[in-house]
Amino acid sequence: MSAGTQYYIATILVYISVNAIASWGLDLQFGVTGVLNFAFILFQAVGAYTAAMLSLGPPSSNGGFQHYPFGVHLPFPVPIIGAMLVGGALSGIVGLITLRRLRSDYQAMVMLVVSVVATVVIESVIGLANGSAGLSLIPNPAHTISGVSRTAQSWLFVGICWLCMVLVGVIMYGLVYSPYGRVLRGTRENEAAIEAMGRDATRARMQVFVIGGAFGALSGALLAEFIGAWAPSDWLYPETFVFFTAVIVGGRGSVSGVAIGAALVCVGVQQAVQYLPIGSDPTVLASLEWIITGLLTMLFLWMRPQGLLPERRRRFSIPELRKLPAVGSEGAVELDA
Amino acid sequence: MLDGVSAGYGGHEIVHNVSIEITPGRIDCVVGPNGAGKSTLLRAITRDAELLAGRIWLQGTEISQTPGNRLVSRGLAWVPQLDDVFNTLTVRENLELGGFLLPRRRVAARIEEMLELFPLLSRLTARVAGRLSGGERKLLAIARALMPSPSALLLDEPTAGLSPEMTNLVLRDQIPRLSESGVAVLLVEQRAIEAIEISARVHVMVSGAVRTSREAQELRGDWDELTRLFLGEE
Amino acid sequence: MSVFISALGFGVVTAAILAISAVGFTLQFSVTNVFNLAFGSVMTLSGFVAYWLNQVGVDIWLAMLAAAICGGLISVAINELLYEPFIRHGVNLFGMVIITISVGLIFDHGLQAVVGPSFFSYNAPAGKALHFADFVLTRQELAIIAIAAALTAVVQGALQYTRLGKAMRGLAVNPALARACGVPTRSVIALAWFVSGALAGIGGVALFLDISTFTATTGSEFLIVIIAAAVLGGVGSPRGAVLGALVVGVVTEVGGAYWNPQLKDVLAFSVMIVVLLVRPQGLFAQLANERAVAR
Repeated sequence: MSAGTQYYIATILVYISVNAIASWGLDLQFGVTGVLNFAFILFQAVGAYTAAMLSLGPPSSNGGFQHYPFGVHLPFPVPIIGAMLVGGALSGIVGLITLRRLRSDYQAMVMLVVSVVATVVIESVIGLANGSAGLSLIPNPAHTISGVSRTAQSWLFVGICWLCMVLVGVIMYGLVYSPYGRVLRGTRENEAAIEAMGRDATRARMQVFVIGGAFGALSGALLAEFIGAWAPSDWLYPETFVFFTAVIVGGRGSVSGVAIGAALVCVGVQQAVQYLPIGSDPTVLASLEWIITGLLTMLFLWMRPQGLLPERRRRFSIPELRKLPAVGSEGAVELDA
Repeated sequence: MLDGVSAGYGGHEIVHNVSIEITPGRIDCVVGPNGAGKSTLLRAITRDAELLAGRIWLQGTEISQTPGNRLVSRGLAWVPQLDDVFNTLTVRENLELGGFLLPRRRVAARIEEMLELFPLLSRLTARVAGRLSGGERKLLAIARALMPSPSALLLDEPTAGLSPEMTNLVLRDQIPRLSESGVAVLLVEQRAIEAIEISARVHVMVSGAVRTSREAQELRGDWDELTRLFLGEE
Repeated sequence: MSVFISALGFGVVTAAILAISAVGFTLQFSVTNVFNLAFGSVMTLSGFVAYWLNQVGVDIWLAMLAAAICGGLISVAINELLYEPFIRHGVNLFGMVIITISVGLIFDHGLQAVVGPSFFSYNAPAGKALHFADFVLTRQELAIIAIAAALTAVVQGALQYTRLGKAMRGLAVNPALARACGVPTRSVIALAWFVSGALAGIGGVALFLDISTFTATTGSEFLIVIIAAAVLGGVGSPRGAVLGALVVGVVTEVGGAYWNPQLKDVLAFSVMIVVLLVRPQGLFAQLANERAVAR
C-alpha cells in the first residue's frame, strides 16, 4: 500500500474514533438522559484549545506569532487528560446555569445561545485563543517518536485514538447498562417517577452533562493534535447538529449504534459527497453535506426513530410485573433487561 | 340520543354499548364508581375519545362523525372536568370565545344574559380567568358553554375539587336553573347522592356499562339500593 | 453624550427589526408550541426573493411586500408539508426542535448551493440623513422604525380586540376548549404560521437593508438574537417580544459603542441569561406552562 493510501485510511480511522467519542458524549446527555445540549460542540472546542495550550508551550514560542493567555509544554497524555478535566469543569458551570432553574425548552435555547456567545468571544478577543485565525502548530504526540517513518507515526496516533475510543466505549457500556443507566433513562422518560423513587433528576442531568462534556473535550483534544490546528470555524454552532444526527441515526441510548451512527454520519457523508458526480465546487459540496445530514435526521425520525441499532430494552408482561416488587404503574412497563 | 355507544382510546374499549336518551328541560345524571367510564362516555360524544361503535343523535341529526369543532354549531356544548376555561383570557373574553359562532351583534347581549344568570361573574368580567377561585371558574366554564344557547349541555364532574359551599351553589342552585331554561343536561357526577337529588333520570354506570337507568325518584333516599347497584351485587 | 445618542438611534433601528421578527417567532410558538428554528431561513429566503425582484427593477418597499407574502406562504407550506405530518406521526416537542433545525439547514444550504457563498446587497438608496438634535437617522431607517411600530401595533391590537385574535389566544392556552367553542383550529393555526412567515419576510428585508450585505445564512445567524429577544420577553408573549427587542437592541448598540463593537451580541446574550436566572419565565411572560405540541 502506498504511503498516501495508508495515510488516507489512517485519517479515516482517526475521524471515526474521534467522532464516536464525541457522539457518545452527546448520546449520554441527549440519547440516554434526554438533555438537549445544543452547546455540545463548545466542549469539543474547549478540549481542543486546552490540549493545544498544554502542549504548545508559552505564547512566546514559535516566534510568538499566536496569542493565547498561557501555555506549557507537557508530555502526552497530560494535555488530553487536562482537556477532559477542563471540559468537564466547564460543563459543570454551564450545567449549573442552565439545568437547575430553567424550563427544558429554555434550556435548549440558552445552550444554543451559549455556543454562539463562545464563538463570538473567542473570535473577537484575540488574546484568548488567537481569534478567528485559531491556534496552529499544535504538536502531535506521535510525531515526537523519532526513528520511525511518518506513516508509522500516523498509525501510532490511530492506535492512541482507538485506545481512547475503546476506553470511552467501555465506560459507556458500564454507565448505560447499569442501575445508574436506568436512573438516567428514567430521567428522560418520566422525571416525576424518578423523583418519586427518591432519585434527583437534576443531579443525574448534571452528572451526564459533566461526563459527556469531558468526552467531548477528549474528542476535541485528539482532533486538534491530529489536525495540528484549531479555529472557531471548526466549531460553529450548527456542528453540534451533526452529532445529534449521528445519535439519531445510530440509535438513541444504544452504545454500539451510536458508534456506527458517528462513522456513517460524521465520516461517511463527507466521504460519500466527494464521490458524487456534481463537480468539486467546495461550497456546493459543503452545502450538500449539510443537506444530506438534515435529510438523514428527518428520514430517521420518520421511518426509524429508534435508529439503526435500537437501545436494548425488554418489555415485561403484566403477570411478570406482578411478581416484581411494587412498581406501581399501569399497562406495559418498560424495564431494562 | 346515545344509541349503543362503545368507546375507548387507541382501540381499547372502555365503554360498552351504552344507550341514553336526554330531553330538553330535564337533567340526566350518570353516576358510578371511579373508573366506570363515565368521563370516557362524555369524551366519546365530544370526539376526545374514540367512538368504536354505536351512533349519537342530537335533535334528529346524527352527530357521530361530526368533527369536534362543528359540534357546537349542531347545538352541543360541554364543560370538561379540567382545563375548563381559557386561563390567560379575561372572563369577558372567555364568554366572547364561547360565542365564537354567534353573529357579532348578538354576542354582547348574550354576555349580559349570562351575567344575569350567574350574578357572581358580573363583577369579575375584567379578571383573568386563571385568577378565579374554583367555584367562579366552574361557573364561568358553564356560562361559556351556554353562550351559543345549546340544546344539550354535557357537564363532566362539575363539582370536582370545589368547596362544599360552591358544590351546593353549582349543583343545587345553578344547574337546576339551567335545565328550567330548556336545555337538556347530561351530568356526570362523582357525588351520586347530590346528583340524584337534582336529576330526573339516573343512569348507574359500572365497569363501562350502564347497569340500570331509572327515574331519580325511585332512588332518592334509597341508600341500600344505590349501594347495591354500585357494588354490583345482583 | 452624542456617542450615546447616536448609539441609541442605531439601537432603536436594531430593536425595530428585532421586534418585527421576534413577534412573528413568538406568535407562532405560542399558538403551536413548535420552537421553529427554521424561522431564520424563512427570513433569508424571503429576503432573497426581494433581492431577485429588486434586481429586475422592483422598488425595495414593493419587494418587501412580496417578501412578506412569500414568507407567509413558505411558512404555511413548511408547517403543512413537514411539521404537521411529523407531529401527527407522534414526534414530541424535542423531536420537533430537531426537525426544525434540519429544515433550516436544508433551506440555508440549498440556497447557498444555488447562490454561492458571496455577499449580496439591495439596490436601494438609504435616503437623506435626517437630524434630530444628536439623533441621525436615514429615511430608510425611519421607514423601518415606522413599519415595525405599525406592524407590532396591528398584531397586538388584532390579538387583543378582534374575534379571530381572541380565538388565537384561546387556542394557544387551551386547544381542546377552543375546539369546543367552534373555533376552526386548523385554519387559525395556518393563519398563525402565515402571519409569522410574513413578519419573517418583512424582518428579513429590513435586516438585509440595515446591515447592507447579506449571505445565504444571514437570517439564521440573526435568529439567535431574535430568540434572545423573544426569550427575554417570555416566549409566547408578543408584547413581551417587543419589549425584549427594545432591551436587546438598545443594550447591544449602546454597549457596543462604549465597549467592543464585536462583542455587542455577547452583551445581549448575557442580559438574557442573567434575566432568565432571576426570572426563569422571562421578563413579561404570561402564565407560562409547559404543554404538548398543539395540533
